[in-house]
Amino acid sequence: MKHQAARVVLIGLSAATVVLLAMAPVAHALSVQVTTVQASLEGPSDAQLLPFRPRLRRLVGYRAFRVIRVESRPCIWRTQEAFVIPGGRLLHVLPKGMREQAVVMQVQLLEGLRSLVDTDVRLQNRGVMLFGVDPERGPADGVLIIMLKAEE
Amino acid sequence: MTCAEAEQLLDSFVDAELPGSMLLEVARHAGSCPACDQAVREMTTLRESVERVVRRQVEGVDLSGVWPAVERRIGRSGTRGVWRHVPRQLPVWGAVAALAAGALLWLRTPQPETVRVTHARPNQAVIERLVSSEGARVGIMKDRKYGTTLIMVSAPGEDTGQ
Repeated sequence: MKHQAARVVLIGLSAATVVLLAMAPVAHALSVQVTTVQASLEGPSDAQLLPFRPRLRRLVGYRAFRVIRVESRPCIWRTQEAFVIPGGRLLHVLPKGMREQAVVMQVQLLEGLRSLVDTDVRLQNRGVMLFGVDPERGPADGVLIIMLKAEE
Repeated sequence: MTCAEAEQLLDSFVDAELPGSMLLEVARHAGSCPACDQAVREMTTLRESVERVVRRQVEGVDLSGVWPAVERRIGRSGTRGVWRHVPRQLPVWGAVAALAAGALLWLRTPQPETVRVTHARPNQAVIERLVSSEGARVGIMKDRKYGTTLIMVSAPGEDTGQ
């Protein structure tokens, strides 16, 4: 009888823990989305990028944009997350906090072990900022664009 | 046609992707609107400069190293490792301990810093600090209309850039 009661308590505790863990990302997470886009001179553009096409065109000068990878996940405040970028690169995102309706974060773009750019930015909540990476072999290969979106 | 309507069509206008009647309408509007005319000129200049750089790049392409590089890649792809040993069972108490540790972590998860409300522009990003690697060229561009910020990185390989 005593043994059975202990088992019930144990199961209850485990269930409560699972619920707490399930709630954790919802309660404290910042949602970060990293979309990698290949920009090129010719060809079709993906429909999901049509709203961004005018600004992408104005900023990088290319006219065709294809999504090659999308990764979206919750990030915990003051905890670094690594997003894989095609071409052996990584985007490290470290959300630090909210200031003036903007997400303050450290973003680091790495190529292998080499840090290409390390920056602290304040991005408007639900806003998008871009990183462009020139191809190693010159502009004929197009440009890799990394779209970073953060939403509290 | 209003400026707002024309603005949506300027990209396609510059690329001549619009049907004839629309092309004509945008051209008429740009002819009488200095701001849209300026936008068309800027986009045309940007497009031409990109095309010029690409053309120069393509003309100087040396293809002699292509096949050796492809062969090296093919050789490498065959040696990739595979997952072999995946644990199939976890001890119950281990799982419970992990859950308890997770709950403890959750309770100690840091909260965001101060929140202050002021007006904001969509997509506006403020660069507070920027460090680039040695040999990398970094440029910051901003779209006037949407406020979108682009950090452009041009990084030659380590063997050539240092």
